[in-house]
Amino acid sequence: MQKSLKIMVIDDEPIVVKRLKPALEKSGHEVEVFVNSADAMNRFDEEHFDIVVTDVRMDEIDGIEVLSHVTDKSPQVKVIVITGYATIEVAREALAKGAFDFIAKPFKPNELRIVIEKAVEALSREAKNSG
Amino acid sequence: MKKKTGLPDEFEPIDWEEHERIAQKALKERPSLSLRARLIIGFLLFFVFIAVMIITTIVILNKLDNKTQFLVIADRYTNEIQQARRFEKNYFLYGTNLEAVLEHAIIAQELMKASESELKSVLGEHNLSILTQHLEDYLALLRQLEELDRNRDPGVLPQQPTIEKNLREHGSLMVSFALELSEQERQSVRSMFTWAKRWPLVFLVVLLALAIWESNFLARQMIGRLTRLMNFTKRIAEGDFSPIMPARKYRDEFSNVNMALNSMMHELNRRQELMIESHKLRAIGTLTAGVAHELNNPINNITLTAAALEEDYADLNDDERIDMIKDLVSQAERSGKIVKNLLDFARESEIKTEQLNLGQLLQETLKLAQNEIKLRKVHVDFDFDDNLPSIHGDRQQLSQVFLNLILNSLDAMKDKKGRLEISIARADTPGFLVTEVKDNGSGIPSHILHRIFEPFFTTKSTGKGTGLGLSVSLGIIQRHGGDIRVESAPGLGSVFQVLLPITEVPAAIKND
Repeated sequence: MQKSLKIMVIDDEPIVVKRLKPALEKSGHEVEVFVNSADAMNRFDEEHFDIVVTDVRMDEIDGIEVLSHVTDKSPQVKVIVITGYATIEVAREALAKGAFDFIAKPFKPNELRIVIEKAVEALSREAKNSG
Repeated sequence: MKKKTGLPDEFEPIDWEEHERIAQKALKERPSLSLRARLIIGFLLFFVFIAVMIITTIVILNKLDNKTQFLVIADRYTNEIQQARRFEKNYFLYGTNLEAVLEHAIIAQELMKASESELKSVLGEHNLSILTQHLEDYLALLRQLEELDRNRDPGVLPQQPTIEKNLREHGSLMVSFALELSEQERQSVRSMFTWAKRWPLVFLVVLLALAIWESNFLARQMIGRLTRLMNFTKRIAEGDFSPIMPARKYRDEFSNVNMALNSMMHELNRRQELMIESHKLRAIGTLTAGVAHELNNPINNITLTAAALEEDYADLNDDERIDMIKDLVSQAERSGKIVKNLLDFARESEIKTEQLNLGQLLQETLKLAQNEIKLRKVHVDFDFDDNLPSIHGDRQQLSQVFLNLILNSLDAMKDKKGRLEISIARADTPGFLVTEVKDNGSGIPSHILHRIFEPFFTTKSTGKGTGLGLSVSLGIIQRHGGDIRVESAPGLGSVFQVLLPITEVPAAIKND
């Protein structure tokens, strides 16, 4: 049985977060969404999240900064970055900096769900190994 | 390849390539009279003139030298003869000094022999032979006398009337002849001196005239050509690449320079066109990448919404479904707008040029923005001089630029009591007008300042700005031959300066 995880989704496009919240909640997870990365980081500092899905190109604090913030605070959190089709280099950079995986726009909700599944499996594997 | 220059039809140049071919052909086909040849001839003239003068002087001096030599000799000769004659007289009176007579006569003869060449050059063969003959006859008579004198009784005076008479005759002839010749030569010397004193002055005057004429001539040749060359390079620097046509009948080194310049302009022209092409391509490349990026978001939104609609159709209520469909529609519209903006930007914008009064244009543009200005309660200061020169440009496009700047300023001032200052004046750069759009808004931080003219760069929140406004504006102004500059600091507001060239009616292309 899948454990219910806490997922944070950050994207400055309102429609993206509007659609992804119900789509991911369908899998039984708890989802909090943000269009403002600063607010998202404040929330992250307050509460524990298992997975963070973030758009990489945003105003003010961009996805790479979010990634650094998360990995600094809680390295076990799985970060998935959303990239534009043309920025494969950024994806590589993100992976090098500790992101778990990336997904390119445009994508269908199901494609994200599959990546989330992979993250969930990785989390449970790690949990088993550490204790 | 026809090149449109925007001039009225009668001034439109003939086909570029054709024009150039004619120019090169004309330059080549002139008969060749090189500058070097002309310079050499010029200097040769001088040299010949001066050489003539010097040679004449040398010749005259030589002649004078000979004549003075002769006069010296003639004097001595005359002296000796006169001495001889004196002793001759004595002999016939007192019967003494016959040896002395001979002695002096012989000295005279030796003198003549020693100076034979000089005497010949002055007297000529004929006169010299006469003189020599006289002397020889004199000497012969003297020897005869000597012979006879040996037999004479010392107490008796010589009685040789015939010889005496002959001696007298010869002696007198010799002296008068010599004196006459001397006098002649003295006259000749005097006249030569006079002439020798006058002649150089005349020469000097003629030389001066020749020098003035020649230097003038050469200067005109050289400086005239150099000035013409300078005007060509000025013309080229201003961007007029029409070929140089020959102006003279002859071909020389300057023609070669003109031909070289024509080839150079051809190359420059070609390269400039290549550069513009490559710039355009690069710009379109950047734009396409930017557009692709921009379109990604609305497409993604559509994908997610449509997928969700498909997946959960049955589970959704009507309101939710309608909301999703509305999202689909709005995102599709958003995509459309992005594509349209790109097309607007990439379109081969033709500038419809007309004479414009910038002050008037800005007044009209401000009217367009009036609503926004009133809404935001912004105070506008508009200042410009009525006597400013006019510019040429596309009314609509320039209005678009200024509107863009004004709206940007309004956006920057939305949090405070906005004050917009617009002014038009002559720029520090000569030949330009500068329009300043100054606001007291939030200002632009320095790390963004150098990026604001990039296509798709925007600091506005998603969907609010296309990021194309300033890059399009800069493109328009640059196409008009101007520039946009900005000074800004956070908290201190921004000043945008639009430079536009003052243009006169384009001059017709001259064939000179």
